[in-house]
Amino acid sequence: MSAADFSTDVSAAPLGGRRIRLGDLLLQLVAGLAALASVVLVGLIVWKVIAGAWPSIDTFGLSFVWHIAWNPVLGHELYGAGSFLFGTAITSLLALALAAPLAIGIALYLTELSPRFLRGPVTALVETLAAIPSVVMGLWGILVLGPLLHDHVEPALHSALGFIPLFGEPSPSGSSIFTAVIVLAIMILPIVASITRELFLGVPRELREGALAMGTTRWEMIQGVVFPYARGGIAAALILGLGRAIGEAIAVTQVIGGGVFIHWSLFSTGDTLASKIAASYQGATTKIQVASLIYLGLILLVFSLLMNVAAQWIVRRVARRQGVGTNRGGLG
Amino acid sequence: MPKTGIFIAAVVAALAVAGAATAKPSDTVIQGAGSTFVAPLVAQWVSPLGSAYGYSLQYSGIGSGGGVSAVTARTVDFGASDAPLTADQFSACKGCVQIPWALSATAVLYNLPGVKNLLHMDGPTLAKIFMGQITSWNDPAIKKLNKGVALPDTKIAIAHRSDNSGTTYNFTDYLSAVSPAWKSQLGKGVAVNWPVGTGGRGSSGVAAIVSQTPGAIGYADVAYSLANHLKFFAMKNRAGKFATPGLKGILGAASSDVKPDPKTNELSIVNPPTKFKLAYPISTYTYVIVPTSSPKAAELRKFLFWAVTKGQSYGPKLLFQPIPRPVLVVAEKTITKIKG
Repeated sequence: MSAADFSTDVSAAPLGGRRIRLGDLLLQLVAGLAALASVVLVGLIVWKVIAGAWPSIDTFGLSFVWHIAWNPVLGHELYGAGSFLFGTAITSLLALALAAPLAIGIALYLTELSPRFLRGPVTALVETLAAIPSVVMGLWGILVLGPLLHDHVEPALHSALGFIPLFGEPSPSGSSIFTAVIVLAIMILPIVASITRELFLGVPRELREGALAMGTTRWEMIQGVVFPYARGGIAAALILGLGRAIGEAIAVTQVIGGGVFIHWSLFSTGDTLASKIAASYQGATTKIQVASLIYLGLILLVFSLLMNVAAQWIVRRVARRQGVGTNRGGLG
Repeated sequence: MPKTGIFIAAVVAALAVAGAATAKPSDTVIQGAGSTFVAPLVAQWVSPLGSAYGYSLQYSGIGSGGGVSAVTARTVDFGASDAPLTADQFSACKGCVQIPWALSATAVLYNLPGVKNLLHMDGPTLAKIFMGQITSWNDPAIKKLNKGVALPDTKIAIAHRSDNSGTTYNFTDYLSAVSPAWKSQLGKGVAVNWPVGTGGRGSSGVAAIVSQTPGAIGYADVAYSLANHLKFFAMKNRAGKFATPGLKGILGAASSDVKPDPKTNELSIVNPPTKFKLAYPISTYTYVIVPTSSPKAAELRKFLFWAVTKGQSYGPKLLFQPIPRPVLVVAEKTITKIKG
């Protein structure tokens, strides 16, 4: 069938034309409502969270954010988010620091270096990692990873690098901030790797070939063409991964061990905002405790929002710097 | 808290519909959730209750805290908790009653390879361990309690619950009773501000830490500890005897308080006085929490009467001691308050 046949078919039917205009209208309406719904939803969530946290905001004020305390015992009640904010920051940033080079390495290998027959299976395997439920990751963390780190990795790190406060005495059991960092790194690895891989695939062929034709080595080509082209996108992918690490609750609750204090050693236990909410919300005993847990949720919400804004800002800035020549794909 | 239950409510409602669809049309489904402590006992009740009344009993052991939240949100017909409700929880639950319906104990677990089961322990030493003041297994205080036992110099690794737990309530209630320092610095509750140690999620989380870590000490309900072959202590009671968390020890403790609080039905049987020579000092009642006005009032009354009478006979093999007669009388009186 030729293209001409098809076009006369449509224009010959006046009814069909009207139907298309009606369809456009419907599309506009549905899409508009969907967009509005997301705005309303976010607004309602923020409003509900603030309302729920209000008794705690009223009692503890803004200093709740950095105050280090969490005592749920009746008559001793005192709450603050300080240690959880610290735990969230350190676990998510370290997880990202571990996952980022690995993820970029995986993406580079899959797009630039691996033999063609390996690409499909390896890509599928990396993406399967993303499909493992977090509660299963947590179980694996407590039953397999924790004991391994505790028996072998932590003592080795401590004896080699013990002069750095980060590598203090090994944890008493397998649960520690360190275990949480490794679990989180594994969880965000596939997200960052698969987005980065897509970005690398999007680098125009003529740019790569041009560079190679000028006599660059493969590494020089990657450095000079692939990285600059994908830079903005990689930054956004990393921030997406960071967002996931910040918000992850269940797996972290299972392996981090809990505790309301700030220790410099990675091998001590701790808590994050999300893990504290997950552990303590069910059956919280008093109104002020419930409100304080929702206050933690509010801090988490603001934190994630800031992350999103930062991501967009970085992407835009990098895109502008890249200039016209290299930004043809519009991915940056 | 009711708002927060909406999501859970949706899930539970969906499950309830699914459950009702598969049951025979004449079946009444009674939904409950909460304490993992009492879960093995409730599981024993399902089939006899089905043949006695045709009721289909569905219980999820999501933890005492979760049970209180669920019954407060009315997503279940009853909740179960090992810790008595706080005043805030009572008022949030709007017209709920709390009925003691089972009786058991918390075991203090340890993992010392090559060392025998049922080592001796006393309250003040236990409190010091959980405050981080005794850090090694061959500490003089522990040695003194276990003459003739070769204790290793292993470091003590403390495991506790990270979620809100009735077992934690029972354990810290005991530590508060035996140690003034614990009482003033930490107190009792379903969660406390642990100064040291590693938190695990649920009894299984604590058991995982204890069984993987040589030198670990933790706590869990005795049925769970036995089922998972964990070692636990014989605890020194006020009479100076070392009691195990068996039926005799639990009964001994239960005899010390048979008068439930007239307002809340609360009973406290930790660390009973000297005259209860056999008492295991970390014993506890566990409670069922029911709204006084329920669409299934008649069925709930029947079920609960059965649970506190005939249901008790399923307890002993799981180390649940049948509740003493005076407590039973109060429980039955409370059950009659449930109206449609």
